[in-house]
Amino acid sequence: MNIRKYFKIVAVALFGAVLSSCNSNDDLGKVDIEIPGVTFDGDIDCCSAEEALQVYKFIQTVKIIPDLSTEIDGKYNVYAYSKTGSFHVGYNDIYFVVTKKKNGNYVKNFEFSGITPHMLMVKMNMKHSTPVSAGVESFNDNYLAVKHGWISFVMATSDAGSWTLKYDYSILGSTGTTSEAAITVDALPAGQQWVKSFKAGENTYYISLVNPTDWKTGKNAITAYVSKKNTPATTPYGLAQEQFSVEIDPRMPDMGNHTSPDNVALSLQGDGSYQGTVNLTMTGRWRIHLTVKDNQGNVVAGGDDLDEGYSSLYFDVTI
Amino acid sequence: MLETVLLTSVLLADSLAPDKVQNLDEVLIVSYDGRAKQRSVKGQAASIDEHLGELRNVNLVRRGSYAWEPVVNNMQTERLSTTIDGMKIFYACTDKMDPVTSYVESGNLQSISLNSGLDGNPQATGNIGGSLDLKLRKIGFEADPRHVNILAGHEWNGHLQVYGADAAFSGYRTYLNAGLFYRSADCYRVGGGELLNYSQFGKVNMFANAGLRLTEADVLEATLIFDRATDVGYPALNMDVSRAQGFISSVSYKHQFARVGWETKAYYNHIIHIMDDTTRPDVEIHMDMPGDSWTAGLYSLATTSLDLAEMQHDVAVNYDLYYNRLFADMTMYPGGAAPMYMVTWPDVGTFNTGLALTDNVNITANQSLRLSAKIAWQNQRLNNEEGYRGQKVFFPLMIDRYYQTTGRVAASYQFSILNSQFSIGTGWGSRAPTVTEAYGYYLNNTFDQYDYMGNPHLGNESAVEVNGAYKFSAQDFGIGLDANAFFFKDYIIGHLDSRLSAMTVGAEGVKVYGNLEHAVIANASVTADWQISSRMAWNGKLSYSLGRDDVAESLPLISPLAWRTSIEYGFGALQAQVELRGNARQTNYAAKYGEILTAGWNIVNLSASYRFKAATLRGGVENLFDRKYSAYSDWNNIPQKGRNIYLNLTIEL
Repeated sequence: MNIRKYFKIVAVALFGAVLSSCNSNDDLGKVDIEIPGVTFDGDIDCCSAEEALQVYKFIQTVKIIPDLSTEIDGKYNVYAYSKTGSFHVGYNDIYFVVTKKKNGNYVKNFEFSGITPHMLMVKMNMKHSTPVSAGVESFNDNYLAVKHGWISFVMATSDAGSWTLKYDYSILGSTGTTSEAAITVDALPAGQQWVKSFKAGENTYYISLVNPTDWKTGKNAITAYVSKKNTPATTPYGLAQEQFSVEIDPRMPDMGNHTSPDNVALSLQGDGSYQGTVNLTMTGRWRIHLTVKDNQGNVVAGGDDLDEGYSSLYFDVTI
Repeated sequence: MLETVLLTSVLLADSLAPDKVQNLDEVLIVSYDGRAKQRSVKGQAASIDEHLGELRNVNLVRRGSYAWEPVVNNMQTERLSTTIDGMKIFYACTDKMDPVTSYVESGNLQSISLNSGLDGNPQATGNIGGSLDLKLRKIGFEADPRHVNILAGHEWNGHLQVYGADAAFSGYRTYLNAGLFYRSADCYRVGGGELLNYSQFGKVNMFANAGLRLTEADVLEATLIFDRATDVGYPALNMDVSRAQGFISSVSYKHQFARVGWETKAYYNHIIHIMDDTTRPDVEIHMDMPGDSWTAGLYSLATTSLDLAEMQHDVAVNYDLYYNRLFADMTMYPGGAAPMYMVTWPDVGTFNTGLALTDNVNITANQSLRLSAKIAWQNQRLNNEEGYRGQKVFFPLMIDRYYQTTGRVAASYQFSILNSQFSIGTGWGSRAPTVTEAYGYYLNNTFDQYDYMGNPHLGNESAVEVNGAYKFSAQDFGIGLDANAFFFKDYIIGHLDSRLSAMTVGAEGVKVYGNLEHAVIANASVTADWQISSRMAWNGKLSYSLGRDDVAESLPLISPLAWRTSIEYGFGALQAQVELRGNARQTNYAAKYGEILTAGWNIVNLSASYRFKAATLRGGVENLFDRKYSAYSDWNNIPQKGRNIYLNLTIEL
């Protein structure tokens, strides 16, 4: 809502700028686009004015993460964004944009890979990683110059340990690995638990719930990723190759643990995500109890009975 | 004249003498001259609920000592129409704590008229069981120039106090009635002396009715009522009400053509209802549950008398429309966690419009026929997105807009011969589901301990009614038999859906409203009266009802065998009465629908009134033997008042 409103304001502002510049422009057939800090000098590595406008509009909807912005080879600026400009425990979308220093314009083709978050646990002097997306892809067709990945942090920054993050880049021939940047991962507020681990056989898996903040009263799409812990644990955890299905049982623990009808279990999709439907009949705290089954239908995690009779594996979402 | 103001009257079209059917005003005056039966023994000090209780075919569902829900022919609000001077008004509480009769005060009214069954008043829609019309008190033009009425009353059980004053001015061009009333009570004691907690209430009410004669044939009238009840306890429920407030207004224009009377009225009313559980101990989870209802509408009524084929026809044609908005929500506050919020009535906008026709035909001096019909069309829209999305979880195929067409036709024929009067009648009518039945969301019903979900896919309910009455009157003795039966199709009632999980802590499960293929409700009564001597009269009434669902099991809230008998004594200005009322054990209680057995009971009431010039003193004892009892219609069997002594004084100047 707010984002859309913001879009409108930006669009109006831009349109205003276009109109006023049209008056001073002899070439009436062309529409002039002006973006603060961007010079359109015909550099073919960079976006056209129209493409750049798309990128510019998009980055108004997200917030920059200062800790992760960096300069490469004195030629490029890399900017990282998330919804809030910070990270929290659980699933986080992360977006990257690269500009050329000389004209400020967005670089069209670049590749990031090997996103590697590390948690250094000071007291035990142990290091581990956390679930990350399989790769960093163009966000979508509209935003070729915006790359998207995700990280699901399994714990928050605290006295016990702190997070760093590095990744590999390849920008118009400049390749390398960034230095490990210190990042802060905030704990989720009370009533929100969006990442859980479970064991199946010898392996440890993490299930990360995607963006439940968008949920409303009524029918909601529920998306999650199942990632497998690596050995050594410092290697980022990629998506599990095993196929599961995850039954969901949403309950309201603050109101007699009542549930809602017609919820649809999470099942593996072509893009590697798990998708289902969750029905939320009112606002408040929902505890979504999970039962993980393997592709034979055997329960491998959750589905046990807590004192109240519900699975001990659950997400908490407060809407 | 105000002396002739009558607070209650019974108007049952099918049980009145043929020549009395057509004109309500006429009936009132006649009733006033008749026995005191048709007004409460407490006079004007009686609450509106007590007045309603005097009507035939009416029972009252009691959830506390205030705001009782009228039941006509053993049908509750959803199968009745209640109008105030023809104005539609809808209650604002999802738990039915505020039947619309609670937003007026007896002092506002001249009478309450009831049309039993499908033969409704012209403005009534959806009246299968009957239609109540509360007639506002209007002195009219060229009556007593000045009239003042003062009222004070006290009831010892529960320290109930009633104070009221109203004044009327009448002239050739203008008239005005205005009044102010106050009524409050503490908790009452049940039979045996135990205090019933949360049975208190307080209420203030003010009203004004004014008329302006523009020309010989043109009149403007206006009405304002403001009614506010605060701190109302509901011992039968888990919560009380901090505020129930009604604002009622109307403007009407009347024109008298040569042969046709024409009235058009525009009205607006607004009800705010706020529940409150903060005074209750051990509340599992605190909840806010406000409700809001407003209605704007108009009707236009033309009446005329015609002679066709040597028969006199009194014809009334009425067109009405109204728009009502109902919104209610609920916020629950668990300690320390995020509040839980839901919309329980999704801001439903109902636009309804209808055309009604009634014809009273005087066939011969001793035969008459009454015909009435109405067709109504309505459109409902769910204006609250969150509420709509929530309900769509349960009904994925629902949409946010529905249309319904309903109608009714009724005919009754009366004839009298020698000492006997006969009447037979029949009718068919349908009603659209109420907002609660169609769109209610997790409404907990403390009667059967289930959460109820509305069902937007419900069909209209319809019924065929047949009724008959016979009355024999001799010089000093009369006996009457009265019976009616309603054969329902698609009877709307909650059905257990074991797939769903109860939201309310302690609820047994979830019921979803559905249509039963058929059901039947039937009522029969015998009345008798005997003028023992010039000073003493006896009357008695025995009534029996039954309700059966599609598999012949009992429907809930159907009266058991009930009786009422009294002896009245009149000597000069003194009137005295001893009355016995009782119910048999409710053997046909509806266990299937969560009803519990109610034991039989009998109580004795004494009352007397004495009139001295402008003052009337009334006093009496209710429940003389202090019996602890509850009637079948007492929600969750909360006990009724124990012995209660009352005294009230009315002064008319």
